[in-house]
Amino acid sequence: MGPAVRAVKLQVRDLEKRFPAKRRGGDILALSDINLHVDAGEFVSLVGTSGCGKSTLLRIVAGLEQPSSGDVHVDGERVLGPGPDRGMVFQGYSLFPWLTVAGNIDFGLQLAGLNRSARSERVAELLGIMGLTEHAKRLPRELSGGMRQRVAIARALAPEPDLLLLDEPFGALDAQTRLAMHEFLRQVWRRTGATILFVTHDVDEAVYLSQRVYVMHAMPGRIVEELQLPASLVGGPEVKRTSQFLDVRDELHELLLGAVRAS
Amino acid sequence: MADAAPALAASPERTRRTGRPPGRGRPPAPLLDLRSELSSRTRTLLGVAGLAGVLGLWIWAAEQGGETGLVPTPLETWQALVSQWSAGTLWSDFTASSTRIGYGYAISMVIGILLGVLIGSMRSVEAVFEAPIGLMRYVPATALTPLLLLWFGIDETPKVLLIVIGTVFFNVLMVADVARGVPREQLEAAYTLGAPRRTVLSRVVLRHSLPGIIDVARINLASGWLMLVVAELLAAQEGLAFRIVRAQRFRQVDTMFALLVVFGVIGVASDLGLRKLRDVSSPWARP
Repeated sequence: MGPAVRAVKLQVRDLEKRFPAKRRGGDILALSDINLHVDAGEFVSLVGTSGCGKSTLLRIVAGLEQPSSGDVHVDGERVLGPGPDRGMVFQGYSLFPWLTVAGNIDFGLQLAGLNRSARSERVAELLGIMGLTEHAKRLPRELSGGMRQRVAIARALAPEPDLLLLDEPFGALDAQTRLAMHEFLRQVWRRTGATILFVTHDVDEAVYLSQRVYVMHAMPGRIVEELQLPASLVGGPEVKRTSQFLDVRDELHELLLGAVRAS
Repeated sequence: MADAAPALAASPERTRRTGRPPGRGRPPAPLLDLRSELSSRTRTLLGVAGLAGVLGLWIWAAEQGGETGLVPTPLETWQALVSQWSAGTLWSDFTASSTRIGYGYAISMVIGILLGVLIGSMRSVEAVFEAPIGLMRYVPATALTPLLLLWFGIDETPKVLLIVIGTVFFNVLMVADVARGVPREQLEAAYTLGAPRRTVLSRVVLRHSLPGIIDVARINLASGWLMLVVAELLAAQEGLAFRIVRAQRFRQVDTMFALLVVFGVIGVASDLGLRKLRDVSSPWARP
């Protein structure tokens, strides 16, 4: 599949975000001159140190926050607010604790107005993909952190969104679980063909998972570099030991360190 | 090194003074350690000791009171309770009082839930109600009693209103706090799943707040009873608190005690009932 035949799924143009300062005199410029795009079926990461505005950018794409200027388009339509066409996975605490695993996944399907049999079919399908079938009736509090995030991903995918947004979804997990979740997300991406925009500060994670990476610096939050990762890096965990992987990773680290030194 | 020797020499002496075995650190003391777990047997034992202590104090006070008849014994209290029951007044007083509290507290909770959830979820509603409620909750509700009697006469209306006024501000503010405690991620997750505002309010905020709201109801119910007693002391023909005033007029201390015990039992029962309701309705929130 060449770049020419791929449709642009997400387009962010000349986006700027200002927050009113606590004290009088001027705003805080959180995001400046943001231009980016994600093609259909692509896995793109936003990488930056904390405070660079990457989460704010993702929240604007989700419609949870409004840009001060510039705009966001999904499939050519302007984003005005949140909607089920852009599924979002948060870092934690976002599952509804009173609903079972199946109930959480079903939440968006009910809102979509699907009938009972269609819903239970879709829930069963997602439970299968996520390896959660035997946990369908458990409450979130009975699950491990990794399982909870799997449910959150399943819930976001349930209404078949055009775009899946992930905001440091594995940031609160222990290192081993995080590695397992990488493989898992990889699999989900392959099986569903979802278009993914992934926010992280973890360079290894970004290089391992994504096809393309935007590097962000802080103050003001801006994109300083766009990195197309070699297709050969898309593979199992063994690629992490290849020199190519390590080179790309070092390059990314260097770019982020530049941000830290500058500030 | 020269300093070390005297310090070492001093340590056995210190041990003797505190009565601790030699060694480092503070050894555990299950009964005194902060937030340490107790065995269920010890817990039960201590609980029984507490109850026995109260009963003992009562019996002792009754003996001290002796001939004055100002403090009845537990047995006399029990007999007074039985006679109130067989005369039928206990039941009619109980229904009169619980009807008042039922209406008053139900109105208070409905307002508390509606307004509280909105205040806790919407900055605009919060801004409008913050000042008036903040002001009015510091006016002691009991100070309004004469005014209520003047406005509404001495029938049921002022009594029910007093219960509403005495509890509603606390219910609103505490429910608002509960609603504020709903994690923002859950609201945002619902929005990104396509839920409109009203659905987020009913299916996420209200649902998440339910166990907290039941707890608020449980805690403030005590204030409801307080207001009921004030109302009945002033103007009533029946009711548990009215009966206490009546009994005082005839120096029936045993009856007064019996009714106080009834109040205590009602309080414990409603507390346990609401706890149960919370746990059954929201098992996910159980500690």
